[in-house]
Amino acid sequence: MLLQMKGITKRYGSLTANDAINFTLAEGEVHALIGENGAGKSTLMRILYGEEQPTEGHVFIAGQEHAFSSPSDAIRAGIGMVHQHFMLFPSFTVAENIVIGREPRAGMSFDRKAAAEQVKALSEKYGMPVDPWEKVADCPVGIQQRIEILKVLNQGAKIIIMDEPSGALTPLEVEWLLKAIKRLAKQGISFILISHKLHEVMDSSDRITVLRDGRVTGTVTAEETDAVKLSQLMVGRELVLTEKKRLEPGKNILEVRDVTLSGSKGGKPVLDRIGFTVRAGEIVGIAGVSGNGQSELLQVISGLRNTDTGQVLLDGQDVTGKTPGTFRDAGLAHIPEDRYMWGSAKEETVTDNAIMGHLRSFSRNGLLRKGQIKETVAQWIDAYKVKTGSLDTRGKHLSGGNMQKLIVAREMAHGTPFVIAAEPTRGVDIGAMETIHDALLKRREENGAILLVSSELTEILKLSDRILVLFEGRIAGELSAEEATEERISILMAGGTGVETN
Amino acid sequence: MKRINWTASAQALLNPLIAVLLGLLVGAIAIWAVGGSVITTYVEMWNGAFGSFYFTTSTLTRATPIILAALGVSLAFRAGFFNLGAEGQMIFGALAAAIAALYVPGPGIVKIISAMIAGMLAGGLWSALAGWLDTRFRMNLLITTLLLNYIAVLFAGYMVSFPLKEKAGSGGAQTAMIDNSAWLPKLFSGMTLHAGFIIAALATILLALFFRYTTKGYEIRMLGSNPLFAAFGGVRRGKLMLLSMMLSGALAGLAGTFEVLGTQYRYIDNMLSAPGYAWSAIMATLLASSNPIGAAFAAVLLAALQTGGMGVERNTEVPLEISSVIQASLILFVSARITISLIKRKKARAVDGSHS
Repeated sequence: MLLQMKGITKRYGSLTANDAINFTLAEGEVHALIGENGAGKSTLMRILYGEEQPTEGHVFIAGQEHAFSSPSDAIRAGIGMVHQHFMLFPSFTVAENIVIGREPRAGMSFDRKAAAEQVKALSEKYGMPVDPWEKVADCPVGIQQRIEILKVLNQGAKIIIMDEPSGALTPLEVEWLLKAIKRLAKQGISFILISHKLHEVMDSSDRITVLRDGRVTGTVTAEETDAVKLSQLMVGRELVLTEKKRLEPGKNILEVRDVTLSGSKGGKPVLDRIGFTVRAGEIVGIAGVSGNGQSELLQVISGLRNTDTGQVLLDGQDVTGKTPGTFRDAGLAHIPEDRYMWGSAKEETVTDNAIMGHLRSFSRNGLLRKGQIKETVAQWIDAYKVKTGSLDTRGKHLSGGNMQKLIVAREMAHGTPFVIAAEPTRGVDIGAMETIHDALLKRREENGAILLVSSELTEILKLSDRILVLFEGRIAGELSAEEATEERISILMAGGTGVETN
Repeated sequence: MKRINWTASAQALLNPLIAVLLGLLVGAIAIWAVGGSVITTYVEMWNGAFGSFYFTTSTLTRATPIILAALGVSLAFRAGFFNLGAEGQMIFGALAAAIAALYVPGPGIVKIISAMIAGMLAGGLWSALAGWLDTRFRMNLLITTLLLNYIAVLFAGYMVSFPLKEKAGSGGAQTAMIDNSAWLPKLFSGMTLHAGFIIAALATILLALFFRYTTKGYEIRMLGSNPLFAAFGGVRRGKLMLLSMMLSGALAGLAGTFEVLGTQYRYIDNMLSAPGYAWSAIMATLLASSNPIGAAFAAVLLAALQTGGMGVERNTEVPLEISSVIQASLILFVSARITISLIKRKKARAVDGSHS
């Protein structure tokens, strides 16, 4: 074994994040590490990368014991980390970003040409094409990730830790990435893959280790397992998937007519004559690579941003250009795509975060009804299994997944005819994902209209009755649930017409 | 749940206390540098501030306008608006109160009430003007509130030098004295402390309750904490900004009003600028992280530093400025505290377990 982690235990006060974990990695192996939020994956990897020191346990690389006190120790021992959020300098070139820290020199100065050549050789050796002279800011996300991997390889990494590598990628980029990982593995590089996405894990890994509550619940080979078994190991119980019932959609709840939003400085419009409806009792999914107008569309249909032309009707009422308050009064609940930017206030308590938008039912004569608030919020927390110290815990002390659950609970509690669910399960674990999906499907059965925006195609496919694909601010195509496949959506997302295939 | 609350508030108190101790330490170095005795100086400072009933009440008198203005500043800061215009708002409040007390006919109580209303309105409107400039023209509030101070200082200076100048008397830039029926009652005979202090203490509790128990208080806190979150939830920034700036200015205006009705009995040019009440109020707010009750205590502390400083000057060779040194280093340590909490937050994020 190239890497052996033996009996790793990490305690923070009374909390045991890792409990006697054993983890091994062979040369050229892809070993996935999965588990729910807070299961201890990140802690284990931070220990391996020298960012944390274990309370107990030992790390061996090629049979030799190492105790890393910093990431640079780990890098020296051949460990590299590709973070979920890339750590690149956007205004520098690809080559400059890759050779950083070990720049080739000509005398006293940085030898750009040599750097470019070095990068070229590296990219050819590993079959990861990049243009050394291009600015990182001009590279798409998939290429930026390639640059990160090359940077780590250039540092001499033999073991690469990839944290949620497919989070920001398009389906095609994900496919490329998984292939690249397998190819690199054949060339002797070993990978530890942290992921939430079981199908990706099944696709690319040799072995899979599942963590729950800081303990290993199983290490299995990809051949002998399947997604159901893995999720059982992760959650500790069997997941019951709610069946989507066939429903006849009712009247139009949301009508978007000809909405256009011009870009900055006369560039391409951000939204280009968008028109669609969401009816009572249906879930309409919006797919698209992020940055194709989803955020702007959501802002327009929730009153956070005015449209240049066109109309927005909510439950028959023209709300074009009105304030978010009016939209909410007309029947909108909104799970925002960015939970910290729009969805919560980190410095405020769980209670304060929970009652936003509910003031009317929680107050009398301008005074908050503390007793009722406490009782109701406690119920929500219970129903959505939000892990929090107390109702007075500050938002910043909740993990991202738990904050997300709180926001979903808050917005679903509005009981409005229309719900925007933007990335409703981003960063939440499988158990919570199930709860949130169930809540959305239940609302659909209660004749609610739901607009689902998600970068997870599986989520879109699972929940939607109809799917719209956004590409460069336009609706590039509409697919019914029956005709939609991951492939057809991906092609539309990439700007294809969707008709050419099959 | 209660226990968590207690530790949290204990911590909220601990940080400013550390800042104060460090401030006193720097002060000690300064005293030592000018050749004074540290212990004697601090004893004199304590005596000057709280050494007798007389000095204690004087300190509270001085604290009264600082408390009220600090409450106003806290309210604006909580809503996320950097209202640096407390000085101008106090001045307009004081001027309007003096005019009302001089010209409104009727018994003393009518004069007092109309002076309070006039003072709060004048301060509130002057402050709301800055808020309006922000919502209407997107003019930076920090700049406008700061600059509106100069207009207020100069305008009030003009008013008491010409149109409202006292006809008889010393010839200083001041209004006539208000009728003694409109003087705020003293709390103890022979002491300077007046009824304004009681109202300031009440206002402190009311503001704390307002933040905790009212919908508007909730909206103001959320707006200050994350304006996008507030907008998302249907809170209207423009309206709420005008309201909170208005209330903030009204509290500052009340501070000015009580200086007229309770201490000077007239408006005198520079009576509010020279003691630096408004800036002490902003300091108190920063020290207490905009918590009303904390701000009130911080206001008393800063007032004590100032009255204590006078005691030091009276009884030792160490100059009054030693108080300024301590105050300045206090502010320095408060800002350092903000930085430390930022670092802590970063560490906490690293520690709070797996987030993938």
